[in-house]
Amino acid sequence: MELSRRTLLGGFAAVASGLAGGSLVGCSSGMNNAGAPAKKNAATELSFWCWPGGLGKSVLDDTIAHFPDPKIKYSEIGGDFKQKLITTFNGGTSIPDITGLKGEDIASLLPQAERFVDLKTVGADSVLGDYLDWKVKQATTLDGKVIGLPIDVGPTALFYREDIFAAGGLPSDPAKVAEQLKTWDDFFAAGVELKAKNPKAPIVGDAAGLYDMVVGQGTERYISKDNKFIGDQDHIRKAWDTAVKAMTLKIDGRTPSGGPDWNAGLDQGTVPAHIGAAWVALDIKSAVKKSAGKWRLAPTPGGPANFGGSFLAITKNAADPQKAFDVIKYMLSADNEAKAFTDAQIFPSTPAAYDKPELKAKDAFFGGQVPIDIFGPAAKGIPVAYQSPFDDSVAAPFHDELKTVQTGSKTSDAAWSSAVSKAKAIATRQGVQ
Amino acid sequence: MTATATVPAATVTTAPARKRIWSYWRFYLALSPFYVLFAVFGLYPMLSTIVLAFQRWDGMSARRFTGLGNFAFLVKDPTFWQALENTVVLFLMSTVPTLVLALLLAVMLQSAVRFTNVYRIAYFIPNVTSLVAMAIFFSSIFSTNFGLVNAALRSLGIPQQDWLGQPWGIKIAISTMIVWQWVGYNTLIYLAGLQAIPREQYEAAKVDGAGAVRTFFSITLPQLRPVVLFTVIMSTIGGLQTFTEPQVMVGNSGGTGQSGMTVVLFFYRAAFLDNDYGYAAAIALSIFVLVLLFTAINWRIFRGRGEDR
Repeated sequence: MELSRRTLLGGFAAVASGLAGGSLVGCSSGMNNAGAPAKKNAATELSFWCWPGGLGKSVLDDTIAHFPDPKIKYSEIGGDFKQKLITTFNGGTSIPDITGLKGEDIASLLPQAERFVDLKTVGADSVLGDYLDWKVKQATTLDGKVIGLPIDVGPTALFYREDIFAAGGLPSDPAKVAEQLKTWDDFFAAGVELKAKNPKAPIVGDAAGLYDMVVGQGTERYISKDNKFIGDQDHIRKAWDTAVKAMTLKIDGRTPSGGPDWNAGLDQGTVPAHIGAAWVALDIKSAVKKSAGKWRLAPTPGGPANFGGSFLAITKNAADPQKAFDVIKYMLSADNEAKAFTDAQIFPSTPAAYDKPELKAKDAFFGGQVPIDIFGPAAKGIPVAYQSPFDDSVAAPFHDELKTVQTGSKTSDAAWSSAVSKAKAIATRQGVQ
Repeated sequence: MTATATVPAATVTTAPARKRIWSYWRFYLALSPFYVLFAVFGLYPMLSTIVLAFQRWDGMSARRFTGLGNFAFLVKDPTFWQALENTVVLFLMSTVPTLVLALLLAVMLQSAVRFTNVYRIAYFIPNVTSLVAMAIFFSSIFSTNFGLVNAALRSLGIPQQDWLGQPWGIKIAISTMIVWQWVGYNTLIYLAGLQAIPREQYEAAKVDGAGAVRTFFSITLPQLRPVVLFTVIMSTIGGLQTFTEPQVMVGNSGGTGQSGMTVVLFFYRAAFLDNDYGYAAAIALSIFVLVLLFTAINWRIFRGRGEDR
């Protein structure tokens, strides 16, 4: 049998017009997508997306076994999670019922709240009080919708080498460190003292990284709730000046965390201290060979901040939002969060979990110190700052310019004004006043 | 067009011509997979990029038509001009040494007698190695305290440098990596070109008493001109799209003072970090124009001169 020419041409014409039409009306179909009611997923299974290492293995297995009907179909999505989620939303099919949302992405997803189920409509009010208040606020829109239940948080602490602090004449016992290094000025003074005795041990690993920490300790960031640019104001300038002070005192190691120099420096003592979130413990543990047992934890100078921490959300496509909520409520109960901490150091967002035996365990890496004694109070004391969807984009010029101060190619004032004007341009572009 | 005169003639001739064309439909069918794939994965994305460049879109909500708004912002954006400057500087810093080294190596390989294939494979291996893995490797080589480069400097008594922290250091590190990766590829192309040069010309030069240098500049280089043109244009297209090296070595912001921010990295940041897809599409179009422009310039320089003679 021969393929007729006419049908073949007809087929080509259809494909060609489909392509041409698609490209030209792509914009209008995009517009319809956002407003139209979401197509429901099939009720036969509950699809569930998260990234590798985002959930505790035993908790996940237990949850899947606990909810046999409809069966949970869990998919681990590697790579750029947010990008894949957005692409799937735009495609309109295979959208998961339940999805993880990363802490760094949540602010930019809040304007898309209509794609997610407001958890208050499926009974979240009864459990929201169990979670850290500031963390729930991160997933709450300005008009009060809650789009995600917190999986974990990233409270910060001061990680330091007990032996190097002691040899440098600094207090080395965690309680004494906590008492003596309360503010950034105390911390810098200790750094100057340490440097006098041990010139190879700058107390600040990377002043440009420290800047972020100081911004995180405040209650305001770059853009205010009423969508105004406030990155040129005192609170940001204060964080900037704190970082610059560490540079001018020459106690800045200029060693960004995670790099080969940082990894080697942890063991060799050229990075005697690091200020980072609870999950940094894993990085330090895997980087060092010799210095296990010599590390200690103390509260962050200047007060705690948060880095990282994610959420579970239910999409509007979910066949049964109530059922989906039961799943995430079960998964993120205080008991299960404590289990997830044992599984993969996922730091609980439920304060009740901090009293569980899993978290009360002593850690030999930290010389038998109990990490939760430092991280627990830190998690509860993190200040609430409004984070705009464009916050990360606006913050970028400040980091870039601070590095030019660090390398000595610009003065602090010149770099500051350049950072502010670049940040303002980005903010204006995004519609910030 | 001279419409009035040709139209009647055309109508007379089209009927048999069309018939002849369609009688080859089986051949077109055989060729069609490429064109269908190109239309879906090449043409459609290109067209939608052009459409997107005139819109504002955050990736999720409704698109808004903004006319030339994205382009107007682009020409006023200092980061864009800086990215453009970085890209051109990096392109020159990497392409010139790459091609010179490749040519030298090719001439040496041409004359080498033993183990030629071993050298060819050795030089080509960098080109097929994972770029991300190599970028991580190179960032350790250039790291401040424990890097190989600084270790070598220290042993020579020169103070160590903060390679990935200084604006010029970042550029050197990135272009070193590009050179390392592309020398072997260009060497092989030059080698193929060298083998096409007739032996007689060299013999004649020898008889006339020309030395190695004179032979190189009077015979090898002029004969290689078309091959050089090809490599220059390929390097232009590749060099203006430098992305992975800076992204892995100094991060999405382009490092200190954004000195490693290339145009493609800038595009990536606009699209996937700032979720400003319309603006990113406008940047993508500017890269396209940039590549066209540079290719045209190279074409003129390397081919024009040959034809003038």
